[in-house]
Amino acid sequence: MSEEQRCDDVAPVNGDGGAIISRIQDWGFQKIVPVNAAIEITQRCNIRCLHCYNFDRDEPQVREDACATTPELSTAEILQVMADLRAAGCLFLMLTGGEILSHADLFTFMDRARELNFSLQLLTNGTMLKPGVAARIAAYENLQGVSVSVYGATAPVHDGVTQMPGSWRRTWDGIKRLKHLGVVVRVKFIIMRQNAHEVGAMQAMATEMGLPYSIDMNITPRHDGSRGSLQTRIELDQLETLYRGPLSRLVSKKARSAPEAVACNCARGNVAITSTGNVQPCISVPWVAGNIREQAFAEIWKTSPVFERIRGFKLADYKKCAPCEHRAYCRYDRSSAYNTTGDYTNPDPFTCATAELTHRLADEHAAGETPTEERLFNVRRVANAR
Amino acid sequence: MIDNDAAMTSWHREPTLPFQRMDEETIVVDPRTREVHLLNETAARIWDLLEEPASLDQLCEELAEEYEGATPEALRGEVEGFLKDLGGKGLLVARGRA
Repeated sequence: MSEEQRCDDVAPVNGDGGAIISRIQDWGFQKIVPVNAAIEITQRCNIRCLHCYNFDRDEPQVREDACATTPELSTAEILQVMADLRAAGCLFLMLTGGEILSHADLFTFMDRARELNFSLQLLTNGTMLKPGVAARIAAYENLQGVSVSVYGATAPVHDGVTQMPGSWRRTWDGIKRLKHLGVVVRVKFIIMRQNAHEVGAMQAMATEMGLPYSIDMNITPRHDGSRGSLQTRIELDQLETLYRGPLSRLVSKKARSAPEAVACNCARGNVAITSTGNVQPCISVPWVAGNIREQAFAEIWKTSPVFERIRGFKLADYKKCAPCEHRAYCRYDRSSAYNTTGDYTNPDPFTCATAELTHRLADEHAAGETPTEERLFNVRRVANAR
Repeated sequence: MIDNDAAMTSWHREPTLPFQRMDEETIVVDPRTREVHLLNETAARIWDLLEEPASLDQLCEELAEEYEGATPEALRGEVEGFLKDLGGKGLLVARGRA
Protein backbone atom coordinates (compact mmCIF):
# COMPACT_ATOMS: atom_id res chain seq x y z
CA MET A 1 0.00 0.00 0.00
CA SER A 2 2.84 2.33 0.64
CA GLU A 3 4.56 3.95 -2.25
CA GLU A 4 5.56 7.29 -3.50
CA GLN A 5 2.71 8.87 -5.35
CA ARG A 6 2.79 9.37 -9.10
CA CYS A 7 0.86 12.08 -10.83
CA ASP A 8 -1.19 9.56 -12.78
CA ASP A 9 -2.17 7.59 -9.72
CA VAL A 10 -5.79 6.60 -9.60
CA ALA A 11 -7.65 5.12 -6.68
CA PRO A 12 -7.23 1.38 -6.07
CA VAL A 13 -9.35 -0.98 -8.15
CA ASN A 14 -10.26 -4.63 -7.80
CA GLY A 15 -9.34 -7.70 -9.81
CA ASP A 16 -7.52 -7.16 -13.06
CA GLY A 17 -8.59 -3.52 -13.11
CA GLY A 18 -5.01 -2.47 -12.48
CA ALA A 19 -3.93 -3.93 -15.81
CA ILE A 20 -6.73 -2.08 -17.60
CA ILE A 21 -5.78 1.15 -15.85
CA SER A 22 -2.19 0.62 -16.98
CA ARG A 23 -3.47 0.08 -20.48
CA ILE A 24 -5.31 3.40 -20.63
CA GLN A 25 -2.32 5.16 -19.10
CA ASP A 26 -0.07 3.68 -21.77
CA TRP A 27 -2.62 4.61 -24.40
CA GLY A 28 -2.70 8.21 -23.15
CA PHE A 29 1.09 8.34 -23.19
CA GLN A 30 1.41 6.91 -26.70
CA LYS A 31 -1.49 8.77 -28.29
CA ILE A 32 -0.97 11.99 -26.29
CA VAL A 33 -4.46 12.00 -24.80
CA PRO A 34 -4.86 13.77 -21.43
CA VAL A 35 -6.58 10.89 -19.65
CA ASN A 36 -5.57 12.38 -16.28
CA ALA A 37 -6.30 15.99 -15.42
CA ALA A 38 -6.12 18.07 -12.28
CA ILE A 39 -8.07 21.27 -11.90
CA GLU A 40 -7.01 23.59 -9.12
CA ILE A 41 -10.40 25.17 -8.45
CA THR A 42 -9.00 27.71 -5.99
CA GLN A 43 -5.88 28.59 -4.07
CA ARG A 44 -7.94 29.69 -1.09
CA CYS A 45 -7.29 27.54 1.94
CA ASN A 46 -8.38 27.47 5.54
CA ILE A 47 -4.98 26.30 6.80
CA ARG A 48 -1.49 27.74 6.35
CA CYS A 49 0.82 24.81 5.79
CA LEU A 50 4.50 25.59 6.17
CA HIS A 51 5.38 23.60 3.05
CA CYS A 52 2.57 24.82 0.76
CA TYR A 53 3.72 25.00 -2.85
CA ASN A 54 1.16 27.61 -3.91
CA PHE A 55 2.55 30.66 -2.17
CA ASP A 56 3.82 31.82 1.21
CA ARG A 57 0.64 31.86 3.28
CA ASP A 58 2.37 33.68 6.13
CA GLU A 59 2.82 36.74 3.98
CA PRO A 60 -0.06 39.22 3.63
CA GLN A 61 -2.28 38.24 0.75
CA VAL A 62 -2.70 40.93 -1.83
CA ARG A 63 -6.12 39.77 -2.90
CA GLU A 64 -8.91 37.97 -1.17
CA ASP A 65 -8.74 35.18 -3.74
CA ALA A 66 -5.07 34.71 -2.95
CA CYS A 67 -3.83 35.36 -6.47
CA ALA A 68 -1.72 38.45 -6.52
CA THR A 69 -2.03 39.44 -10.14
CA THR A 70 -4.81 37.47 -11.79
CA PRO A 71 -8.35 36.68 -10.65
CA GLU A 72 -9.19 33.04 -10.20
CA LEU A 73 -11.30 31.20 -12.74
CA SER A 74 -15.02 31.80 -12.51
CA THR A 75 -17.41 28.93 -12.03
CA ALA A 76 -18.43 29.20 -15.67
CA GLU A 77 -14.80 29.04 -16.80
CA ILE A 78 -14.16 25.93 -14.71
CA LEU A 79 -17.28 24.24 -16.06
CA GLN A 80 -16.17 25.03 -19.60
CA VAL A 81 -12.69 23.63 -19.15
CA MET A 82 -14.19 20.48 -17.64
CA ALA A 83 -16.18 19.98 -20.83
CA ASP A 84 -13.09 20.73 -22.91
CA LEU A 85 -11.03 18.18 -20.98
CA ARG A 86 -13.69 15.53 -21.43
CA ALA A 87 -13.83 16.22 -25.15
CA ALA A 88 -10.06 15.81 -25.28
CA GLY A 89 -10.29 12.32 -23.77
CA CYS A 90 -9.87 12.93 -20.06
CA LEU A 91 -11.33 10.17 -17.89
CA PHE A 92 -9.66 10.66 -14.50
CA LEU A 93 -10.31 14.13 -13.11
CA MET A 94 -8.91 15.39 -9.84
CA LEU A 95 -10.19 18.54 -8.18
CA THR A 96 -7.59 20.14 -5.97
CA GLY A 97 -6.74 23.42 -4.28
CA GLY A 98 -5.97 25.33 -2.07
CA GLU A 99 -8.78 23.66 -0.20
CA ILE A 100 -11.55 22.51 -2.52
CA LEU A 101 -14.18 22.77 0.19
CA SER A 102 -13.47 26.48 0.54
CA HIS A 103 -14.95 26.95 -2.95
CA ALA A 104 -18.66 27.73 -2.77
CA ASP A 105 -19.37 25.88 -6.03
CA LEU A 106 -17.53 22.63 -5.40
CA PHE A 107 -20.73 20.64 -5.70
CA THR A 108 -21.60 22.37 -8.96
CA PHE A 109 -18.31 21.07 -10.31
CA MET A 110 -18.99 17.61 -8.92
CA ASP A 111 -22.43 17.61 -10.52
CA ARG A 112 -20.84 18.50 -13.85
CA ALA A 113 -18.18 15.83 -13.42
CA ARG A 114 -20.93 13.26 -12.95
CA GLU A 115 -22.84 14.48 -15.99
CA LEU A 116 -19.68 14.28 -18.06
CA ASN A 117 -18.87 10.75 -16.87
CA PHE A 118 -15.56 11.62 -15.30
CA SER A 119 -14.00 9.27 -12.80
CA LEU A 120 -13.61 11.82 -10.04
CA GLN A 121 -11.04 12.18 -7.32
CA LEU A 122 -10.87 14.90 -4.72
CA LEU A 123 -7.84 16.16 -2.85
CA THR A 124 -8.61 17.88 0.44
CA ASN A 125 -7.09 18.64 3.81
CA GLY A 126 -10.16 17.05 5.37
CA THR A 127 -10.81 19.73 7.97
CA MET A 128 -14.11 20.82 6.44
CA LEU A 129 -15.63 17.37 6.03
CA LYS A 130 -18.54 17.92 8.39
CA PRO A 131 -21.19 15.17 8.52
CA GLY A 132 -23.51 16.78 5.98
CA VAL A 133 -20.67 17.57 3.60
CA ALA A 134 -19.23 14.07 3.84
CA ALA A 135 -22.65 12.54 3.14
CA ARG A 136 -23.13 14.76 0.13
CA ILE A 137 -19.71 13.81 -1.28
CA ALA A 138 -20.34 10.11 -0.69
CA ALA A 139 -23.50 10.23 -2.80
CA TYR A 140 -21.62 10.76 -6.06
CA GLU A 141 -21.68 7.51 -8.01
CA ASN A 142 -18.67 8.53 -10.11
CA LEU A 143 -16.46 9.30 -7.12
CA GLN A 144 -13.36 7.14 -7.39
CA GLY A 145 -11.87 8.33 -4.15
CA VAL A 146 -10.82 11.13 -1.87
CA SER A 147 -7.20 11.80 -0.99
CA VAL A 148 -6.62 13.53 2.32
CA SER A 149 -3.30 15.12 3.20
CA VAL A 150 -1.93 14.28 6.65
CA TYR A 151 1.22 15.71 8.19
CA GLY A 152 1.73 13.73 11.35
CA ALA A 153 0.64 10.92 13.62
CA THR A 154 -0.05 13.30 16.48
CA ALA A 155 -1.93 16.55 16.79
CA PRO A 156 1.03 18.71 17.87
CA VAL A 157 3.11 17.69 14.85
CA HIS A 158 0.31 17.88 12.29
CA ASP A 159 -1.10 21.12 13.67
CA GLY A 160 2.40 22.58 13.78
CA VAL A 161 2.60 22.13 10.02
CA THR A 162 -0.90 23.45 9.26
CA GLN A 163 -0.61 26.24 11.84
CA MET A 164 -4.21 25.50 12.74
CA PRO A 165 -4.88 24.09 16.20
CA GLY A 166 -7.41 21.29 16.05
CA SER A 167 -6.80 20.50 12.38
CA TRP A 168 -5.41 17.01 13.05
CA ARG A 169 -8.57 16.00 14.91
CA ARG A 170 -10.83 17.55 12.29
CA THR A 171 -8.94 15.87 9.46
CA TRP A 172 -9.17 12.41 11.03
CA ASP A 173 -12.82 12.97 11.90
CA GLY A 174 -13.43 13.76 8.25
CA ILE A 175 -11.50 10.70 7.09
CA LYS A 176 -13.51 8.46 9.38
CA ARG A 177 -16.79 9.96 8.21
CA LEU A 178 -16.00 9.35 4.57
CA LYS A 179 -14.78 5.82 5.22
CA HIS A 180 -17.89 5.05 7.24
CA LEU A 181 -19.95 6.17 4.25
CA GLY A 182 -18.11 3.76 1.97
CA VAL A 183 -15.87 6.28 0.23
CA VAL A 184 -12.40 5.08 -0.72
CA VAL A 185 -10.14 7.40 1.24
CA ARG A 186 -6.45 7.46 0.56
CA VAL A 187 -4.27 9.13 3.12
CA LYS A 188 -1.55 11.17 1.53
CA PHE A 189 1.26 11.39 4.05
CA ILE A 190 3.49 14.36 3.35
CA ILE A 191 6.83 13.50 4.92
CA MET A 192 8.98 16.38 6.07
CA ARG A 193 11.56 17.42 8.61
CA GLN A 194 8.88 18.07 11.22
CA ASN A 195 7.23 14.64 11.08
CA ALA A 196 9.95 12.20 9.97
CA HIS A 197 10.05 10.69 13.45
CA GLU A 198 6.35 9.80 13.16
CA VAL A 199 6.40 8.01 9.81
CA GLY A 200 6.11 4.55 11.32
CA ALA A 201 3.25 5.69 13.50
CA MET A 202 1.51 7.28 10.53
CA GLN A 203 1.76 4.04 8.57
CA ALA A 204 0.43 2.11 11.53
CA MET A 205 -2.56 4.43 11.87
CA ALA A 206 -3.52 4.00 8.24
CA THR A 207 -3.05 0.25 8.36
CA GLU A 208 -5.08 -0.16 11.51
CA MET A 209 -7.92 1.77 9.91
CA GLY A 210 -7.66 -0.18 6.65
CA LEU A 211 -6.80 2.92 4.67
CA PRO A 212 -4.56 2.89 1.61
CA TYR A 213 -1.88 5.52 1.82
CA SER A 214 0.87 7.12 -0.17
CA ILE A 215 4.16 8.61 0.88
CA ASP A 216 5.14 11.96 -0.58
CA MET A 217 8.44 13.56 0.34
CA ASN A 218 8.45 16.03 -2.51
CA ILE A 219 8.81 19.47 -0.96
CA THR A 220 9.73 22.13 -3.50
CA PRO A 221 10.18 25.88 -3.69
CA ARG A 222 6.82 27.61 -3.98
CA HIS A 223 5.24 28.62 -7.22
CA ASP A 224 5.43 32.27 -6.16
CA GLY A 225 9.20 31.93 -6.15
CA SER A 226 9.60 31.93 -2.38
CA ARG A 227 11.73 29.17 -0.90
CA GLY A 228 10.69 29.08 2.74
CA SER A 229 8.94 25.77 2.10
CA LEU A 230 12.35 24.13 1.73
CA GLN A 231 12.88 24.62 5.44
CA THR A 232 10.44 21.76 5.91
CA ARG A 233 12.11 19.36 3.48
CA ILE A 234 13.39 16.20 5.07
CA GLU A 235 17.11 16.07 5.85
CA LEU A 236 19.19 13.45 4.11
CA ASP A 237 20.14 11.73 7.36
CA GLN A 238 16.47 11.55 8.31
CA LEU A 239 15.74 10.02 4.94
CA GLU A 240 18.42 7.39 5.40
CA THR A 241 16.94 6.49 8.77
CA LEU A 242 13.52 6.11 7.14
CA TYR A 243 14.92 4.04 4.29
CA ARG A 244 16.55 1.74 6.81
CA GLY A 245 13.34 1.63 8.83
CA PRO A 246 9.68 2.17 8.04
CA LEU A 247 10.25 3.12 4.41
CA SER A 248 12.67 0.29 3.61
CA ARG A 249 10.22 -0.99 1.01
CA LEU A 250 11.03 2.03 -1.12
CA VAL A 251 14.60 0.82 -1.47
CA SER A 252 15.27 -1.74 -4.17
CA LYS A 253 16.42 -5.07 -2.82
CA LYS A 254 18.38 -5.84 -5.94
CA ALA A 255 20.38 -4.02 -8.54
CA ARG A 256 18.37 -2.15 -11.12
CA SER A 257 19.04 -1.26 -14.71
CA ALA A 258 18.79 2.33 -15.78
CA PRO A 259 15.74 2.96 -17.97
CA GLU A 260 16.16 3.81 -21.63
CA ALA A 261 14.15 6.99 -21.21
CA VAL A 262 13.16 9.31 -18.42
CA ALA A 263 9.88 10.60 -19.85
CA CYS A 264 6.92 10.60 -17.49
CA ASN A 265 3.28 10.97 -18.44
CA CYS A 266 3.20 14.75 -18.00
CA ALA A 267 2.10 16.67 -21.11
CA ARG A 268 1.21 13.32 -22.66
CA GLY A 269 -1.37 11.58 -20.46
CA ASN A 270 -1.35 14.21 -17.71
CA VAL A 271 -2.34 17.85 -17.65
CA ALA A 272 -3.25 20.42 -15.04
CA ILE A 273 -5.24 23.64 -15.00
CA THR A 274 -4.41 26.17 -12.31
CA SER A 275 -6.90 28.39 -10.52
CA THR A 276 -6.01 31.25 -12.84
CA GLY A 277 -6.40 29.20 -16.01
CA ASN A 278 -2.81 28.30 -16.71
CA VAL A 279 -2.33 24.98 -18.45
CA GLN A 280 0.63 23.00 -17.16
CA PRO A 281 2.10 19.53 -17.64
CA CYS A 282 1.41 18.77 -13.98
CA ILE A 283 -0.03 20.70 -11.07
CA SER A 284 3.42 20.59 -9.45
CA VAL A 285 5.28 21.99 -12.45
CA PRO A 286 4.34 25.62 -13.16
CA TRP A 287 5.77 25.62 -16.69
CA VAL A 288 2.91 27.41 -18.39
CA ALA A 289 1.87 26.08 -21.77
CA GLY A 290 -0.98 28.53 -22.23
CA ASN A 291 -4.03 29.96 -20.55
CA ILE A 292 -7.60 28.92 -21.18
CA ARG A 293 -8.71 32.56 -21.08
CA GLU A 294 -6.62 33.21 -24.16
CA GLN A 295 -6.82 29.93 -26.06
CA ALA A 296 -9.10 26.93 -26.10
CA PHE A 297 -7.74 24.01 -24.14
CA ALA A 298 -7.59 21.77 -27.20
CA GLU A 299 -5.48 24.30 -29.07
CA ILE A 300 -3.05 24.61 -26.16
CA TRP A 301 -2.84 20.85 -25.82
CA LYS A 302 -2.11 20.34 -29.50
CA THR A 303 0.05 23.32 -30.36
CA SER A 304 1.79 24.64 -27.26
CA PRO A 305 5.55 24.91 -27.81
CA VAL A 306 6.07 24.10 -24.14
CA PHE A 307 4.19 20.82 -24.43
CA GLU A 308 5.88 20.01 -27.73
CA ARG A 309 9.23 20.57 -26.06
CA ILE A 310 8.43 18.37 -23.08
CA ARG A 311 7.12 15.60 -25.32
CA GLY A 312 10.25 15.77 -27.42
CA PHE A 313 12.80 15.46 -24.63
CA LYS A 314 15.21 12.56 -25.06
CA LEU A 315 17.46 11.05 -22.46
CA ALA A 316 20.39 12.99 -23.89
CA ASP A 317 18.56 16.25 -23.12
CA TYR A 318 18.89 15.46 -19.43
CA LYS A 319 22.55 16.26 -19.57
CA LYS A 320 23.36 15.65 -15.92
CA CYS A 321 21.05 12.66 -15.61
CA ALA A 322 22.01 10.70 -18.72
CA PRO A 323 25.53 9.74 -17.57
CA CYS A 324 24.66 9.53 -13.85
CA GLU A 325 25.66 6.28 -12.15
CA HIS A 326 22.63 6.52 -9.86
CA ARG A 327 20.08 6.87 -12.65
CA ALA A 328 18.50 3.47 -12.06
CA TYR A 329 17.58 4.54 -8.55
CA CYS A 330 16.34 8.03 -9.33
CA ARG A 331 12.79 9.32 -9.12
CA TYR A 332 13.44 11.82 -11.93
CA ASP A 333 11.31 14.27 -10.05
CA ARG A 334 10.56 16.98 -12.57
CA SER A 335 8.65 19.21 -10.15
CA SER A 336 11.68 19.50 -7.87
CA ALA A 337 13.86 20.05 -10.91
CA TYR A 338 11.73 22.80 -12.38
CA ASN A 339 10.87 24.55 -9.15
CA THR A 340 14.43 24.44 -7.82
CA THR A 341 16.52 25.03 -10.92
CA GLY A 342 14.02 26.58 -13.33
CA ASP A 343 14.97 23.91 -15.86
CA TYR A 344 12.82 20.84 -16.41
CA THR A 345 15.85 18.77 -17.38
CA ASN A 346 18.26 20.00 -14.72
CA PRO A 347 17.98 17.89 -11.57
CA ASP A 348 17.42 19.25 -8.11
CA PRO A 349 20.53 18.44 -6.02
CA PHE A 350 18.36 16.89 -3.32
CA THR A 351 16.88 14.48 -5.85
CA CYS A 352 20.41 13.53 -6.87
CA ALA A 353 21.43 12.97 -3.26
CA THR A 354 18.35 10.83 -2.74
CA ALA A 355 19.24 8.70 -5.75
CA GLU A 356 22.79 8.26 -4.48
CA LEU A 357 21.47 7.20 -1.08
CA THR A 358 18.99 4.75 -2.59
CA HIS A 359 21.72 3.29 -4.78
CA ARG A 360 24.04 2.83 -1.81
CA LEU A 361 21.38 1.06 0.24
CA ALA A 362 20.46 -1.18 -2.69
CA ASP A 363 24.13 -2.11 -3.04
CA GLU A 364 24.18 -3.02 0.64
CA HIS A 365 21.25 -5.33 0.05
CA ALA A 366 22.91 -6.84 -3.01
CA ALA A 367 26.07 -7.47 -0.99
CA GLY A 368 24.06 -9.24 1.67
CA GLU A 369 24.55 -6.47 4.15
CA THR A 370 20.93 -5.92 5.05
CA PRO A 371 20.69 -2.35 6.29
CA THR A 372 20.04 -2.26 9.99
CA GLU A 373 16.65 -1.03 10.98
CA GLU A 374 17.14 1.74 13.44
CA ARG A 375 14.58 1.65 16.18
CA LEU A 376 13.92 5.34 16.26
CA PHE A 377 10.26 4.73 15.74
CA ASN A 378 8.65 3.42 18.83
CA VAL A 379 5.76 1.76 17.06
CA ARG A 380 5.01 -1.77 16.08
CA ARG A 381 6.08 -2.90 12.67
CA VAL A 382 3.50 -2.68 9.94
CA ALA A 383 3.25 -6.21 8.69
CA ASN A 384 1.09 -5.90 5.65
CA ALA A 385 1.92 -2.47 4.29
CA ARG A 386 3.76 -3.39 1.15
CA MET B 1 -35.22 -10.62 -17.11
CA ILE B 2 -33.63 -11.27 -20.47
CA ASP B 3 -35.20 -14.54 -21.58
CA ASN B 4 -38.72 -14.15 -22.91
CA ASP B 5 -39.00 -10.44 -22.53
CA ALA B 6 -35.61 -9.63 -23.97
CA ALA B 7 -36.91 -8.10 -27.14
CA MET B 8 -39.37 -5.98 -25.21
CA THR B 9 -36.94 -4.62 -22.65
CA SER B 10 -35.32 -1.28 -23.17
CA TRP B 11 -31.67 -1.00 -22.19
CA HIS B 12 -29.38 1.93 -21.66
CA ARG B 13 -26.07 2.43 -19.99
CA GLU B 14 -25.89 3.49 -16.36
CA PRO B 15 -25.75 7.24 -16.94
CA THR B 16 -23.22 8.21 -14.28
CA LEU B 17 -20.53 5.59 -14.94
CA PRO B 18 -17.18 6.97 -16.04
CA PHE B 19 -15.99 5.64 -19.40
CA GLN B 20 -13.61 6.50 -22.18
CA ARG B 21 -13.23 5.27 -25.72
CA MET B 22 -9.68 4.05 -26.53
CA ASP B 23 -9.60 3.67 -30.30
CA GLU B 24 -11.70 0.54 -30.90
CA GLU B 25 -12.14 -0.35 -27.24
CA THR B 26 -13.88 1.34 -24.33
CA ILE B 27 -12.88 1.37 -20.68
CA VAL B 28 -15.73 1.58 -18.14
CA VAL B 29 -14.98 2.39 -14.51
CA ASP B 30 -17.39 1.42 -11.76
CA PRO B 31 -16.38 3.28 -8.59
CA ARG B 32 -19.12 1.53 -6.59
CA THR B 33 -17.51 -1.89 -7.01
CA ARG B 34 -13.92 -0.72 -7.63
CA GLU B 35 -14.00 -2.62 -10.90
CA VAL B 36 -12.78 -1.59 -14.31
CA HIS B 37 -14.11 -3.15 -17.50
CA LEU B 38 -12.59 -3.23 -20.96
CA LEU B 39 -15.08 -3.57 -23.80
CA ASN B 40 -13.93 -4.98 -27.11
CA GLU B 41 -14.81 -3.39 -30.43
CA THR B 42 -18.33 -4.82 -30.73
CA ALA B 43 -19.15 -4.30 -27.08
CA ALA B 44 -17.81 -0.75 -27.28
CA ARG B 45 -20.11 -0.06 -30.21
CA ILE B 46 -23.09 -1.41 -28.28
CA TRP B 47 -22.06 0.80 -25.34
CA ASP B 48 -22.11 3.78 -27.69
CA LEU B 49 -25.55 2.87 -29.00
CA LEU B 50 -26.88 2.53 -25.47
CA GLU B 51 -26.38 6.19 -24.78
CA GLU B 52 -30.05 6.19 -25.81
CA PRO B 53 -32.43 3.43 -24.69
CA ALA B 54 -32.69 0.52 -27.14
CA SER B 55 -34.18 -2.96 -27.20
CA LEU B 56 -32.30 -6.11 -28.14
CA ASP B 57 -33.99 -6.12 -31.53
CA GLN B 58 -33.11 -2.51 -32.19
CA LEU B 59 -29.49 -3.11 -31.29
CA CYS B 60 -29.22 -6.15 -33.52
CA GLU B 61 -30.76 -4.33 -36.44
CA GLU B 62 -28.45 -1.37 -35.99
CA LEU B 63 -25.36 -3.53 -35.75
CA ALA B 64 -26.38 -5.65 -38.74
CA GLU B 65 -26.39 -2.50 -40.85
CA GLU B 66 -22.90 -1.62 -39.67
CA TYR B 67 -21.19 -5.01 -39.92
CA GLU B 68 -20.95 -6.37 -43.42
CA GLY B 69 -22.49 -9.79 -43.84
CA ALA B 70 -24.07 -9.83 -40.39
CA THR B 71 -27.76 -10.42 -39.82
CA PRO B 72 -29.79 -9.46 -36.78
CA GLU B 73 -30.43 -13.14 -36.11
CA ALA B 74 -26.73 -14.02 -36.20
CA LEU B 75 -25.88 -11.19 -33.83
CA ARG B 76 -28.64 -11.88 -31.36
CA GLY B 77 -26.80 -14.36 -29.18
CA GLU B 78 -23.71 -12.22 -28.73
CA VAL B 79 -25.65 -9.04 -28.11
CA GLU B 80 -27.99 -10.74 -25.67
CA GLY B 81 -25.00 -12.17 -23.83
CA PHE B 82 -23.47 -8.73 -23.62
CA LEU B 83 -26.65 -7.21 -22.20
CA LYS B 84 -26.97 -10.02 -19.71
CA ASP B 85 -23.35 -9.74 -18.63
CA LEU B 86 -23.20 -5.98 -18.21
CA GLY B 87 -26.74 -5.78 -16.89
CA GLY B 88 -25.77 -8.26 -14.20
CA LYS B 89 -22.80 -6.12 -13.28
CA GLY B 90 -24.95 -3.01 -12.97
CA LEU B 91 -23.36 -1.24 -15.90
CA LEU B 92 -26.60 -1.27 -17.89
CA VAL B 93 -30.08 -0.41 -16.78
CA ALA B 94 -33.16 -2.25 -18.02
CA ARG B 95 -36.30 -0.20 -18.11
CA GLY B 96 -39.84 -1.57 -18.51
CA ARG B 97 -40.93 -2.68 -21.96
CA ALA B 98 -39.99 -1.06 -25.21
